[in-house]
Amino acid sequence: MSNRESSVGTDQATRSRPTGSRVDWLFDPKLLSVAFGSLAVVVIGGLIQVSLGSYSMTITQAWQAVFNPDVLFNHRAWNAFLLGGELPEMSRESLIVWDIRLPRVFVAILVGMNLALSGAIFQAVTRNELASPFILGVSSGAGLLILLTLVVFGSLSAFLPLIASAGGTLAFLIVYAIAWKHGTSPVRLVLAGVIVGTVFGSLQTALFFFAEDIGVVQSAIAWTTGSLTGTDWEQVRLVLPWTVVAVLLGVAGSRQCNVLLLGEQTAKSLGMSIEKVRFALSGVAVLAASASIAVAGIVGFVGLIVPHMVRNLVGSDYRKLIVGCLFVGPALMVGADAGARLALAPDQIPVGIVTGLVGGPYFLYLMRTQQHMGEI
Amino acid sequence: MFDTIASITQGRNRDEDDSEATATASAPESTDSSASRLTGTELVLGYPTTDDPIVDGETITGERGAVTALVGPNGSGKSTLLKGLANQLAPDDGVVLIDGQDIHSLDTKALARKLGLLSQESTSPDSITVEELVSHGRYPYRGFFEHVTYEDECAVDNAIDLAGCDHLRDRQVGSLSGGQKQLAWIAMVLAQDTDVLLLDEPTTFLDLHHQLEVMEIIETLRDEREITVVVVLHDIEQAARHADSIVALRDGEIKARGPPEEVITEQLLAEVFEIDAEVDSTDRGPRITPIRARHEGSEAESTDS
Repeated sequence: MSNRESSVGTDQATRSRPTGSRVDWLFDPKLLSVAFGSLAVVVIGGLIQVSLGSYSMTITQAWQAVFNPDVLFNHRAWNAFLLGGELPEMSRESLIVWDIRLPRVFVAILVGMNLALSGAIFQAVTRNELASPFILGVSSGAGLLILLTLVVFGSLSAFLPLIASAGGTLAFLIVYAIAWKHGTSPVRLVLAGVIVGTVFGSLQTALFFFAEDIGVVQSAIAWTTGSLTGTDWEQVRLVLPWTVVAVLLGVAGSRQCNVLLLGEQTAKSLGMSIEKVRFALSGVAVLAASASIAVAGIVGFVGLIVPHMVRNLVGSDYRKLIVGCLFVGPALMVGADAGARLALAPDQIPVGIVTGLVGGPYFLYLMRTQQHMGEI
Repeated sequence: MFDTIASITQGRNRDEDDSEATATASAPESTDSSASRLTGTELVLGYPTTDDPIVDGETITGERGAVTALVGPNGSGKSTLLKGLANQLAPDDGVVLIDGQDIHSLDTKALARKLGLLSQESTSPDSITVEELVSHGRYPYRGFFEHVTYEDECAVDNAIDLAGCDHLRDRQVGSLSGGQKQLAWIAMVLAQDTDVLLLDEPTTFLDLHHQLEVMEIIETLRDEREITVVVVLHDIEQAARHADSIVALRDGEIKARGPPEEVITEQLLAEVFEIDAEVDSTDRGPRITPIRARHEGSEAESTDS
């Protein structure tokens, strides 16, 4: 087809491609390989995760248990998992894998998606590659309220997920308010985030002094470093609906992100109500970050690193970038969580420590190899 | 060469524009109903960080289907005035009308379908292609969940063609030279398919070839599509040669306006730009030979008026 056209030359009508090619970009070979590579990591990490534990299984046994048709195609089982109904009869392996071990993998997948999505959106909104839920104060706000609850208002600890989300939202609103001066700017948003993060961080440290029980301190540390230990279907049920909402809005908003990246003036002259869009997108990012903090605590670096990795692989078109993040985020989380379990086996370390240990050096590597870092 | 030149999307929005033009009932001219007139009246413009306004009560008109050039020394308020006209900067006082409608009252996307702006410093991610950049020009035509239409694709094709960057279509923006980048950005504004186009120093920092190319595109737009162009230019000679009308600013005040031959005089260059220069009129418009910079007030005043 293209041969014929090139001989025609400047003909206008033939050059434009037919409509209906609207999802062409999805089949970008780079994006596809990122997606399949990530899926492979998730599957391998997940299998390692389900085969480990006090009841040990071989990989084959674990595999059989995961793909046990009696569970996979049993709507009563899914009803039990997703809606909290009565669990049907099943073999011991299946019960252990499906009821105890797999939920942790699912939570890791959902948390990875949320954090990566949140980071990607924050980076577009602030037009700054260094932005993440961490930098913009969301994590520190959530962490402060978690500590406050555990140390001072112990009776409220049943509501920790909600409280964590409220803290994240509150901190981001404070950041936005500080940054607002006849509108916001990317640099002011990041600076305000650092200010709020520093203050909240100090308050967190101060709170540790008031903790009387070492158990409370350990629980607090698990929350503030991010951990998937002990997550089950309840956490999946908690985070899944918000993830669906955030992912749909994030994918729908990717074109807005693309236009935001052209700079404030251009976005405005293209007719974007820039403050509204920025606030709405931030809202989606806060929602995603809060949902993940609510079930896994503050897992560092995922929100910062994943968008970077994806950007290096598929470019900065946000339509591809966000889709890529939805695959790479889970891969990093599931991989790191498998590492967290294997590293000091049989003891488990919080997954946040692994993501920090992996993420830090990777970021350093990026800093060294990339000429320009900062503005997207 | 191609008959689509009259409208970048082959007439998609014509009906709408016609009805609006007649609704304003301000059309004694009958030659073109598509071109728009942009008027800023008694504009007072300043930035939140400054106390005194930069532009204090000036009136400026971009005539239908004509190129109006804003010239003046650095810091004379040209860009500020342009931002005011483009609704990038809300005026403290005064009003900007496009075809008799207050641009402030228009929906942001509706305005972006009528008025395009190419800013002085445009940034984009390095890894997007020229085609992707240009397709962002269709943003004001698409709703939140809408996808690319046939019109959008035609507009992008035509804009790329008009800006002469067909050969760059699949190149990444980050790999282009300054001049090529500017052509890509111009294509993006063209894809916006507006009747009014505001350009802030589109030729500054470009080599001569690309400067001429940009000015040729502007002339094509005026001649074939009857677009109203307001352009800030650093080079007075360039302004004199390509513009239909020139507005000279100094300290936020309009010192002179009119056709190039009338505005570009030795006296004006002394007053506005503080230079001694010779102006010869040639068949390509006035030619300016700068001689020396003037220093301080005394000397300038002695030769004034």
